[in-house]
Amino acid sequence: MNNGMDEAYTAKLKVKDKEETKMKPVQMVCRSLALGGLVLLLAAYSVRAQSFTPTRPVDIVNHSRAGGGSDLFARALVKMLEDEKLIPSGWQVVNKSGGSGGQAMGYLAEKKGDKHTISVFTNTWVVTGLTRAESKYTMKDFTPLVRMILEPTIAVVKADSPYKSLMDFVQDAKKKPGKLVQVGGTVSSVDNLFRNLIQKQTGAKWQYVDIRSGGERIANILGGHMHIYFPQPAEVSEHVRAGSVKIIATLTENRLEGYPNVSTIKEQGLDVPIITQVRGVLGPPKTDAAVANYYEDIFLRLTKTPSWKKYVDENQVESAYLNGKGLAGALVQLTDQLRTTLKDAGVKVVR
Amino acid sequence: MDTLANIFLGFSLALTPVNIFWCTVGVVLGTAVGVLPGLGTPATIAILLPLTFQMNPTTGIIMMAGIYYGSKYGGSTTSILLNLPGETASVVTCLDGYQMARQGRAGAALGISAIASFVAGTVGVLGLMLVAPPLARFALRFGPPEYFALMTLGLTMVTFLAGKSMVKGLIAALFGLWLAMIGTDRFTADSRFVFGRLELLDGIDFIVASIGIFAVGEVLVNLEEKTKIDLFTVPKGLRNLMPTWQDIKDCRFAFLNGSVVGFFIGIIPGAGASIASFLSYGLEKAVSKHPEKFGNGAIEGVAAPEGANNSETGGALVPLFTLGIPGSNSTAMLLAALTLWGLRPGPLLIQEHPETFWGLVASMYVGNIMLLILNLPLVPMWAQILRIPYYVLYPMILGISFIGVYAVNNSMFDVWLLAIFGLLGYLMKKLDFPAAPLILAIVLGGRAEETFRQSLIMSGGAMSIFWTRPLTVLMLSLALALLAAPFFRSVRQWQKPRASDDE
Repeated sequence: MNNGMDEAYTAKLKVKDKEETKMKPVQMVCRSLALGGLVLLLAAYSVRAQSFTPTRPVDIVNHSRAGGGSDLFARALVKMLEDEKLIPSGWQVVNKSGGSGGQAMGYLAEKKGDKHTISVFTNTWVVTGLTRAESKYTMKDFTPLVRMILEPTIAVVKADSPYKSLMDFVQDAKKKPGKLVQVGGTVSSVDNLFRNLIQKQTGAKWQYVDIRSGGERIANILGGHMHIYFPQPAEVSEHVRAGSVKIIATLTENRLEGYPNVSTIKEQGLDVPIITQVRGVLGPPKTDAAVANYYEDIFLRLTKTPSWKKYVDENQVESAYLNGKGLAGALVQLTDQLRTTLKDAGVKVVR
Repeated sequence: MDTLANIFLGFSLALTPVNIFWCTVGVVLGTAVGVLPGLGTPATIAILLPLTFQMNPTTGIIMMAGIYYGSKYGGSTTSILLNLPGETASVVTCLDGYQMARQGRAGAALGISAIASFVAGTVGVLGLMLVAPPLARFALRFGPPEYFALMTLGLTMVTFLAGKSMVKGLIAALFGLWLAMIGTDRFTADSRFVFGRLELLDGIDFIVASIGIFAVGEVLVNLEEKTKIDLFTVPKGLRNLMPTWQDIKDCRFAFLNGSVVGFFIGIIPGAGASIASFLSYGLEKAVSKHPEKFGNGAIEGVAAPEGANNSETGGALVPLFTLGIPGSNSTAMLLAALTLWGLRPGPLLIQEHPETFWGLVASMYVGNIMLLILNLPLVPMWAQILRIPYYVLYPMILGISFIGVYAVNNSMFDVWLLAIFGLLGYLMKKLDFPAAPLILAIVLGGRAEETFRQSLIMSGGAMSIFWTRPLTVLMLSLALALLAAPFFRSVRQWQKPRASDDE
């Protein structure tokens, strides 16, 4: 049946030209098959060009254990999408924890071309790709779908601390090099990168202690064991409200809506590049354009709903939607920026 | 009295039919979660969270906390019956609990663990209710040097867990310390001993190691001893399945020890239930009149750690509610839950939402009573598991172990790791190396190293940080005293046989 179209065409002509005397049954079968094939081809083509809708529940992967940051984000996305009736119920959150995001990256890479698997990601994925020889994949392997959130970073100290601005702290650190202590996450986390950028620009030196859990970091500030912490606003907002810690700067381009009286580091005279914490969604390698369109579209529609507005407010993050193309560009920029700052911070970069 | 009024408020909320119902649901689920290895409390809370969105926050936290403290009751079950720790905090319970089961005293062990859990759990709630705010300030005095001292104190427990040969105990502990080093060095982001495996970057999961060494290792050893078909003797009759009055009397101190140690460790964020159970076990053995019984089925060796890991829950809620600081993954999930219900966990929570806090506190009394009522009648039922012939029981243990371990990270790598640790457990048993020091070192080794380095970074490299802070000095001296203790005991033991040489 390699000439289906021609055959069908000639068949049509024949019918038109002569009032057909008699057709052999075999011929009839052949012709109807050919016609059917044509219809199917056309149908398939039009679906491809138009849109994709999932035919089964979508798996949304994350690199946390149940209850971790990315897990909560993935679950929040699913819940909001369901509540806003943008998807049918049944989307599954899949936890692939371990390897600093590496397990989830490997899992997503295996799902090449899979239309029903997507994954949430954070800066961790970028850093793991850059610094981990063990990781087989980098961000380039995946299909960028959407950026959803930027998480701002702020600088806080204990309420009775003498520092009124981050500049005060930096000046004091200059006076007693190596005596002041900042508490934060791993050496490759945003907090430490900011420290390195500020140290480099000002010549001040202070210590950096990595403490595993966010709660313990705040405890170390409240207990007076350490002097400064660069958290995300939601981590400390209740302590700010209770008056046990105070914000001395925002490490952002613009002032934050929730804290209009706190100046940015730029305003305080610290001219360092701003590193942002990204949360967004990726598809597996070789995700079809139509499939990508579908995901871009539902997430874009989500960002316009009341549920999203509430989520962004409650978590004190910045809604920062970008489509796949925009995210691809942003990721290239972020990767370059992280590569340089990680190197400066003394972290071994392998790619 | 303010507190009194608050307690009345709490009970008036906790005793409404709706809240009693959800409290029951929570503790029943919690028990189930504790019994099944691999299915952790934080994961369960995360999965069930959407169910509670429609509830009011008080009801929600009552149920979620029920899962949290309920799981501590369930954790001992498989430890005692199958040498299979259902939960990180129940590893210590394996040591004497499983021995008791082999001696036909499974019922007594299960019973005493329920009773100890009830007593200590209730004491923990009392503590939470009466002394939460001042204790929270105490918890804040813990910086890295204090944690290091606490971890050191915990590591000295090796001397109590070593069993017959101190040398073998120390070898096992050192091996455990090495295992604890596997993974990413957080301070330099370098990989240590990962052999190019991505899966090892986050280190070895302690639950994989302990299930492998205890449960799988035990099955392998027993398979070899083909002749011994009846491993367990299960006495007939309900009375023989319960702890006797004598048992309960023997455990008087263990109840107190577990309650106090557990509560205090609990309020320190990040210390955790496993260190609480190890410390109370060590303390129990240190003050015992018959320390040689420990590891061979001493009932106090079950009561103390089980009590400690329950009272720890009351303690852990102190920083959570007074400061909004979660000390463990489970309490971090409770914090996330509070946020999702629209509350704002932090220093102002109790003041702004007294009904949620006091409702929860009151419900925990109710929940603990329910857990006791639920768990004691289950004892004879659980004990029947041991009647299952070994050719069914062993595959079952292996099945539960492998599925449980797979469930932690959904990773096949962990399954292979479990097999390796099973083999290690088998070899250690054959060569008479004690398993507990190794597990202790895995649990505490990483934290000890981390806090040691954190302290030195803080001080700019000066060791003096360890002897200029009062709490650190106190704990390190205690650790030193504990290390010296076995020498005194060996003198005593050396004198004793002389006296009874004539026999």
